[in-house]
Amino acid sequence: MKKIYSFIFVLVLMLALVLSACSEDSGNEGAEETEKAVKEGKDLVIAVADNFTSMDPHDTNDTLSYSAQKTMLEGLVGFDKDMKVIPVLAEEYAANDEATEFTFKLRQNVTFHDGTPFNAEAVKVNIDRLADPNSGLKRHSLYSIVKETIVVDEYNLKVILSEPFGAMINTFAHPAAMMHSPKALEELGKEVARNPVGTGPFKFIEWKPGEGLEVTKNESYWKEGYPKVDKITFKPVSENGSRIAMLQAGEADFIYPVPTEQADSITGQGGIEVESKPSIVVRYMAMNTLKEPYNDIKVRQALNYAIDKEAFNKVVLNGHGKELDSIIAPNTQFYSKQETYDFNIEKAKDLLKEAGFVKGFKAKIWGANSSSALKAMEFLQQQLAQINVELEVVPMEAGTMSDKIWGVTDPKDAEIELYYGGWSPSTGDADWGIRPLLGGKEAFPPKSYNISYYENTEANALIESALQTADVDKRAAAYKDAQALLWNEAPWVFLSVDNTMAGKKNYLKGISLLPDGSLNIDELEIE
Amino acid sequence: MFRFVAKRLLEIIPILFLVTILIFLFVHLIPGDPARLVAGTDATIEDVEVVRKELGLDKPLHIQYFTYMGNLLQGDFGTSLKTKRPVIEEIGSRFMPTFWLTFWSMVWAVIVGLLIGAISATKRNKWQDYLGMFGAVSGLSLPSFWLGLMLIQLFAVTLGWLPTGGLDSWKSYILPAFTLGTGVAAVIARFTRSSLMDVLKEDYIRTGRSKGLTERKIVWGHGLRNAMIPVVTMTGLQFGFLLGGSVVIETVFSWPGLGKLLIDSVSYRDYPIIQTEMLLFAVEFILINLVVDLLYGILNPQIRYE
Amino acid sequence: MKELHLNKREEYMNLSLEIIKVKSPISEFWRKFKKQKLALFSFFFILFLIVLSIIGPYIVPYGTTEPDYKNILSGPSVKHWAGTDAYGRDIFSRIIAGTQISLFVGLVSVLLGAVGGTILGIISGYYGKWVDRVIMRICDVLLAFPGILLAIGIIAILGPGLGNVVIAVAIFSIPIFARIVRSSTLSVKSTLYVEATKSVGAKHKRIIWKHIFPGTVSSIIVYFTMRIGTAILTAASLSFLGLGAQPPSPEWGAMLSGGRDYLNTAPHVTFFPGMAIFVTVLAFNLLGDGLRDALDPKIEE
Repeated sequence: MKKIYSFIFVLVLMLALVLSACSEDSGNEGAEETEKAVKEGKDLVIAVADNFTSMDPHDTNDTLSYSAQKTMLEGLVGFDKDMKVIPVLAEEYAANDEATEFTFKLRQNVTFHDGTPFNAEAVKVNIDRLADPNSGLKRHSLYSIVKETIVVDEYNLKVILSEPFGAMINTFAHPAAMMHSPKALEELGKEVARNPVGTGPFKFIEWKPGEGLEVTKNESYWKEGYPKVDKITFKPVSENGSRIAMLQAGEADFIYPVPTEQADSITGQGGIEVESKPSIVVRYMAMNTLKEPYNDIKVRQALNYAIDKEAFNKVVLNGHGKELDSIIAPNTQFYSKQETYDFNIEKAKDLLKEAGFVKGFKAKIWGANSSSALKAMEFLQQQLAQINVELEVVPMEAGTMSDKIWGVTDPKDAEIELYYGGWSPSTGDADWGIRPLLGGKEAFPPKSYNISYYENTEANALIESALQTADVDKRAAAYKDAQALLWNEAPWVFLSVDNTMAGKKNYLKGISLLPDGSLNIDELEIE
Repeated sequence: MFRFVAKRLLEIIPILFLVTILIFLFVHLIPGDPARLVAGTDATIEDVEVVRKELGLDKPLHIQYFTYMGNLLQGDFGTSLKTKRPVIEEIGSRFMPTFWLTFWSMVWAVIVGLLIGAISATKRNKWQDYLGMFGAVSGLSLPSFWLGLMLIQLFAVTLGWLPTGGLDSWKSYILPAFTLGTGVAAVIARFTRSSLMDVLKEDYIRTGRSKGLTERKIVWGHGLRNAMIPVVTMTGLQFGFLLGGSVVIETVFSWPGLGKLLIDSVSYRDYPIIQTEMLLFAVEFILINLVVDLLYGILNPQIRYE
Repeated sequence: MKELHLNKREEYMNLSLEIIKVKSPISEFWRKFKKQKLALFSFFFILFLIVLSIIGPYIVPYGTTEPDYKNILSGPSVKHWAGTDAYGRDIFSRIIAGTQISLFVGLVSVLLGAVGGTILGIISGYYGKWVDRVIMRICDVLLAFPGILLAIGIIAILGPGLGNVVIAVAIFSIPIFARIVRSSTLSVKSTLYVEATKSVGAKHKRIIWKHIFPGTVSSIIVYFTMRIGTAILTAASLSFLGLGAQPPSPEWGAMLSGGRDYLNTAPHVTFFPGMAIFVTVLAFNLLGDGLRDALDPKIEE
């Protein structure tokens, strides 16, 4: 008998744990929609999903680190909340018609945190650093076409490109072009990655990898009346459940990303708001178009018809996303909407039959080993089973995947068949949303991201022509044709546009995620 | 005895040498190209080659190994590929949090484990024994990430007594130390039970009983003290194992420790960090093994060192 | 990683216990084992699991991979005893079907580790001298190698999948078994009858097979049962890190870790696989405890 008691005892203990966990949402649901959370003091904590990698924007390639850097450093131009280019440290900018010369008129009376004045000379030092091919900087590639930077006078400068590049203003708005203090660059060299000195609203205090980053108010910030917060602490919290718990327990004021699975259940709880807004991140399943059977457009289209995008949104994204209706997301510049591939099993089967695959086929799908990627791939597996396409899901750890995909030098050797992934064009321009992914041979791995190994001279010509000019209308026309063409060619199975997911206490104002997933705190204040 | 110690210490050198080769080969054998990961996603092939050269990864493997060993012998562990900080700094800042977490986990695990074990042994096959052992085995049978997430929900979110994670104050230790220690406590409890049961049958305990000492004095005074000897030995060992850091616990509780660092470094193929951290584990392990072997001899003179 | 460290802990627990030097006949063993009610119960429970793992896939009420998007994440009900998961699949059916996989991971990985470890342990203990030293130092190195890193390495090289998870778990069982078997070998070797046989001039191979190996079997069996639980937990931890079974496999650890984002909203998704793991690991551990007590001549009533 006794052992039965002890068994029951342990069982009850476990049940208590579980119940305590779920009692949370059952009690609070809906009841506290209007509750206003209260904040004491002006020190904020922001919980993020990962460690920062660097504080040097020139040598950073993750959006997360940029988010932190943007509290301390600024560029000539930047993005507003709709990914439109806005002036920041430059008051005005212009380009010549050939898109080879760009001029900037700088804001006056701005100083770096170390007292160095901000002027054309300071900008030149930064752009020269980015354009130097021997710099070994991660972001050199974006600025390798800069031929020369000329200081016209104290507050005017001109950037000359070696070839026309219509998307250059967006490239300058990219956080990679944020400005270091030239004095810091000279004294610290690569060490600026650990001691950033910029012009931004906050000054660097300390960064301990694994523990977090602290920044404090810049009292002499150029924008009148800002910042309205004294201190911000960023903390890396990689486990989704733990990050949410921080917001619920009041240890964090703002967290991102909020896992879509839990977004709805925490909304309204203790003054928590979840902001779920369309991003520019597209989700797709790429098909290796050099390989059987994906070299047949009918097969590619069939797979597109076989996926229920609505169910994808519901099951994989928990409703926090929307169907992808072009090769780039609506918030990307020069987006043009396409007619979607409706969910139609019969049509898919017919197309497969026409292509000669009556009995379907077997295939391998590669993707990341994160829980969200696994979930999406499992969904695709279920969907394609309906048209007898049997998928084997092959999740890969980051290092292995990069080797498998970019270790390939001859396209014929590529093992890849299907790949589940996403893309965020960090410049917000159609160019960076199309060219690296579908820009023909020039974009084949290992050079770039054309995992579909898709090559089409017509598409290449359109992409090329859009870069030959800075004329917005001409560019829009070229991208419109390119999108229509690529959509019909279906080198991907088009899935969704993600939402950016942020959770915050409702006393915070002026903090949000931009469509590229980076954090914007320009107008941050506590109510 | 001294010859034994000297011999074992000398043995460490070839072992460590072997370990460096093994680690080096292992790290380079795992698919993945750090140059590409460091250069970044948008890098051109030329950029990747610049980085590769800068990192010295363009040279043949054995040259890379010699360079690595040469630097190592001069006390230079290199710099992290990911953060570009010195490896010593990266690992140094993570060592103490892991150390203290391990320490406090061990403290409560030993106390609770000993108590449960002792009670179980003296009440053999009674309900206390069943409950104790059942509890102990339960501690071993729970997936730790599940336990951790549940505890966070209960104590940090619902009750608001303790922080959810991170390392800010002494309170931060409670939940992760509890989660990490459950398994250890379970093992110590089971171990103490068997060990104490053996001791309680020894002649001198019987003598004590016949002399009319109280049962309590026999168990807690004589019995446990003697049964403690192997328990103490094992405790030292566990300390060593846990010092390697626990990935799962550190992930769930956002703990700035060595386990998480290792995992992050592996996914980034941050060779210098992986190599140094594994070398650290090996040294810890070998030293603890040596101490334990010595303790066996001190505790039981019948064991001879060959 | 807790689970991975436990391997090593248990080793020393068993080592220092100088486990079980038995010659008790089977009836004696059974007499003692019968008294261990919890262990006996666990034994029958494990038998039940084994039967379930064979017939399970045929008796489940729902298909284990069939999605039902209209019915996702619904709680336990009469129709779905353990509720449904993120794809609307019946969790109860998946747990039943997953028994096979989780037991397979546990049994096969430990079996492989035991075979490899036993061979090394006997060689090391029997021949002694430099052979012993070399093998034991290699074991030290293997033990010092963080298990999780080894697993990542193996999976990175061999690719994902359950088979490779099994290999990874097996490899870090080897040094532990080697140590245990070595210590039993040493104690068997030192008993007189082996000395006697040796002086008669028996071949090493014969001595090992006839005398040494049977003497180590009991400690291997005890450790084997305890280790299975650890192996199942290790597989679950690998799933936590995204290195476990591939979808749509209903492996318990994968189910548990896949459901952890629903811990707030749909706790049943993790609760039931968690319970399945807990109860199974518990049963193996209790069985191991019982076997140890029953096989240990030092323990009397």
